[in-house]
Amino acid sequence: MSIALSNIAWLEPVVKIAKGENVAENAQLIIKSVGLPLAGILVFLLVWHAAASNINTSLGQFPGPADVVEQSQSLWTEHLTEREKAEAFYERQEKRNADRVANDPSYVPKIREYTGKPTYIDQIGTSLVTVLSGFLLASAIAIPFGIVIGLSANLYSAFNPVIQIFKPVSPLAWLPLVTMVVSALYVSDDPMVAKSFVTSMITVMLCCLWPTVINTAVGVASIPKDLINVSQVLRLSYLEHVRKIVLPSSIPMVFTGLRLSLGIAWMVLIAAEMLAQNPGLGKFVWDEFQNGSSDSLGRIMVAVITIGIIGFLLDRIMLMIQRRVSWDKSAALR
Amino acid sequence: MRGIKTLRRTFVKSALVLAAGMATMSAPLTNAAEYAEKEELKFGFIKLTDMAPLAVAYEKGYFEDEGLYVTLEAQANWKVLLDRVIDGQLDGAHMLAGQPLGATIGFGTQAHIITAFSMDLNGNGITVSNDIWEQMKPNIPKQADGKPVHPIKADALKPVIDKYKAEGKPFNMGMVFPVSTHNYELRYWLAAGGINPGYYAPHKGDSSGQISADALLSVTPPPQMPATMEAGTIYGYCVGEPWNQQAVFKGIGVPVITDYEIWKNNPEKVFGVSKEWADKYPITHKKVVKAMIRAAEWLDANNNANRPEAVKILSKPQYVGADYDVIANSMTGTFEYEKGDKREVPDFNVFFRHNATYPYYSDAIWYLSQMRRWGQIAEPKSDDWFMETAKKVYRPDIYAEAAKELIKEGKMKASDFPDFATETGFKPPQTEFIDGITYDGTKPNDYLKKFKIGLKGNDKI
Amino acid sequence: MNPLLELTDVGIEFPTPNGPFCALQNVNLKIKKGEFISLIGHSGCGKSTVLNIVAGLYQATQGGVVLGGKEVNEPGPERAVVFQNHSLLPWLTAYENVELAVKRVFKGKKSKAEMKEWIEHNLELVHMSHALHKRPDEISGGMKQRVGIARALSMEPQVLLMDEPFGALDALTRAHLQDSLMEIQKELNNTVIMITHDVDEAVLLSDRIVMMTNGPSATIGEILDVELERPRNRIQLADDPTYNKYRQQVLSFLYEKQRKPDVEAPAKKAATSESKTEKVA
Repeated sequence: MSIALSNIAWLEPVVKIAKGENVAENAQLIIKSVGLPLAGILVFLLVWHAAASNINTSLGQFPGPADVVEQSQSLWTEHLTEREKAEAFYERQEKRNADRVANDPSYVPKIREYTGKPTYIDQIGTSLVTVLSGFLLASAIAIPFGIVIGLSANLYSAFNPVIQIFKPVSPLAWLPLVTMVVSALYVSDDPMVAKSFVTSMITVMLCCLWPTVINTAVGVASIPKDLINVSQVLRLSYLEHVRKIVLPSSIPMVFTGLRLSLGIAWMVLIAAEMLAQNPGLGKFVWDEFQNGSSDSLGRIMVAVITIGIIGFLLDRIMLMIQRRVSWDKSAALR
Repeated sequence: MRGIKTLRRTFVKSALVLAAGMATMSAPLTNAAEYAEKEELKFGFIKLTDMAPLAVAYEKGYFEDEGLYVTLEAQANWKVLLDRVIDGQLDGAHMLAGQPLGATIGFGTQAHIITAFSMDLNGNGITVSNDIWEQMKPNIPKQADGKPVHPIKADALKPVIDKYKAEGKPFNMGMVFPVSTHNYELRYWLAAGGINPGYYAPHKGDSSGQISADALLSVTPPPQMPATMEAGTIYGYCVGEPWNQQAVFKGIGVPVITDYEIWKNNPEKVFGVSKEWADKYPITHKKVVKAMIRAAEWLDANNNANRPEAVKILSKPQYVGADYDVIANSMTGTFEYEKGDKREVPDFNVFFRHNATYPYYSDAIWYLSQMRRWGQIAEPKSDDWFMETAKKVYRPDIYAEAAKELIKEGKMKASDFPDFATETGFKPPQTEFIDGITYDGTKPNDYLKKFKIGLKGNDKI
Repeated sequence: MNPLLELTDVGIEFPTPNGPFCALQNVNLKIKKGEFISLIGHSGCGKSTVLNIVAGLYQATQGGVVLGGKEVNEPGPERAVVFQNHSLLPWLTAYENVELAVKRVFKGKKSKAEMKEWIEHNLELVHMSHALHKRPDEISGGMKQRVGIARALSMEPQVLLMDEPFGALDALTRAHLQDSLMEIQKELNNTVIMITHDVDEAVLLSDRIVMMTNGPSATIGEILDVELERPRNRIQLADDPTYNKYRQQVLSFLYEKQRKPDVEAPAKKAATSESKTEKVA
């Protein structure tokens, strides 16, 4: 199943060449599967490099590939430094706690999380956790809802206008409402998760709900009549019908929806983080933009590339899961 | 990683509990020290050099010395920052002096916010775009060395604005918030040069502040000032550092005056918390103020000797994040006007000396007077009202408590502070304004009468 | 002997925007246990409607169907259907497709091992033992239909309903399946109703051929008793005059008495084609 993650199809011809089989054909295969993508990337890097050195902003030259490499390294170094500081923080805290216990034996020592800044790696982690929570929450709502309205033409007609209206709404429009509602409803002295997390998660959920709902409903509605007849002849109960016929039958469409949703979720999250200053990659980009230091553009470019790679990987992972669970192998090839 | 951490912490925790048990048996109880009611705190700030006391208190461990575990978080703009303090997402924040006052009297979002710590004096500047600067230059007298004579008054800008007016073009300028120091300073400077910056009329639903304006002022978040001016949306702005120096570095504008020259040693930011929070966590509040007093003292100690280190802290991406050189320009006692025209302004950023951290009632009343002057307070108010409002928001009592504790602990000297026994909270009448008008905090209504432009007495929009 | 299945005065109307459309009326048919009945007629004559009413998938608006003394008003496994397009669940293997049916019908009646044996037995009946764990997209059309038949048989239905089971298959595969079906029928002696377009198929397999008139308001035109010895052999029958007489009667019903004007030309072409099996378009 690693095919999806790292396309290892090119390995086979390599092995064959090593064995001396069809050297010419296999060499061509390798050139096609490895050479062409590499060439594409190379051309992109060259164009980028050339373009970057010709764009001057008030923050200096536009970052080229070399700046991005340099900034990635510096972000990594910062991450390590921050971890060391965190260690020191915990040591100091332990000592302080010990002193306090010595002073006041009834005190139950408490270890607090490191209060320093989240590093770039932490921001990636936060974004991933947020996007996955929002996406899972959306899926948990969208799939059952899609099934229910897909099973009934009447319900579908009833809800379709609502879905079509909410589908194109930008996260930026939801965000203020979500922020205010979360602030009003999510009150707790010791909240389990941060408000900003809840806000981002709900915004992501609201925006990525619709593709899954629509595709699930369409998938369910378009189950072949024959299969429904089979279910009727077998007198399957409603739940069994859903479990044995509807769900498996609509899985390819559900996954099409889920993949669209996850893509949207990731894009929405970055925007939501930027706008609402919720921790994550989006906030990182915004903070760097505001800092306006001579490194900022390079760091933003690192984030841009990271966002792209993560988005790509998320889609590949979904594809991989789809290949695992879906019977329709042809639907999973895009 | 996390797993190991948790494991380790659990181990430490049990070790500590064990230690606690042993302590009960053996060690005699020493003094029952005071502990904060809330130890994990989150403070907000805006990316400006005057947030330094917060960064220093964190980095130098002053917060931890008080047993406080503080997280500092940059905020998008002043409105978000204030809203998050009001709804409790932030325990406190670096605020514009006008924010606690404005919120408490209900201009903008209504909420009772108090302050027991003034964060700094001065630190702002007014910058105009290169184009406007070229047009102003002929109107400014020159020194012997050919450089313009400072302070530059708005008189030099007036002909430019008149020209725009004649051509029917709006003259837009940026400030950071309706109740910001920058708004009042920019207005003060413009009005002193005969330029009307416009009035607010909240009772009529007008919060743009552009009624009868010669120069149209609008809100732009500080870090976006240079970019907005570069885009041509505004011709000039008033903002804190490093955003004036940034314009010089980017070559997109010229700072014309610092607020030090508009009003010498004017109070700038404060540390604001909600009244509700302060009532709920009095000990925590006091400890926060203690840590910040120490940070401010460190920033000014030995004639600014620590400033380079402070600049290094501030240039980290999580604080101000601008380049070291940009921040250093103003923080180390100089200020660069036109490119190459670097002048000494030793008191450009004052964090501690001149009792900078003490929350004076007279400072609060000056801001209230300006709110009245420009119509943010629509109705006439008595001198008593000004006094009462100031006392509701400014809390030198909490400051004094914190300071006294620091003196007792030997961390500070009594001579570092005003004499709390006799301090009234009113500075003697101040005369060092750019227009030469004297300010006496005990008589705000008399003060307002001295201005040519601005509401006074029973004036109403 | 009482008929096992009895259709009395069955008729059905479908609502349309232009008022009700009467698809079928006055269908009367009695079927004995173990009888093999073919329904033949032009497209749109309502053969499938009759089958669907028996299956319980449609509700008759007039008259009714009684199976073994009980009125039919919903679908059920005692009236198993072999659908034209095999209708296998594409995500299940041949074994699992049959298993789904067996588990529904014999839950609590057969042990796990018995069920397994029963599933394998039915797949063996249709000669699918070699592809138990293949999914529908991995086997040919004929094999899929075999699995479909195995699934229907495995329910031990009182009546086996087959809706053009071999219609989508090529001639050779169709012949194979017809032979298999005859073998199975010999062994199990099921009661079967089969819809077909294929005159040879009808004559070869059936005990009686029910010929339907053209719609709307289609009904039974004639019923032909096919009294040919079993086992029947298609090669020997090709020259059998009785067999050809039955063929002739069905053809004459379809192309003379019930000629459809719009399908006349292609139908004639089919009749004169070299193919041994006449197909009605």
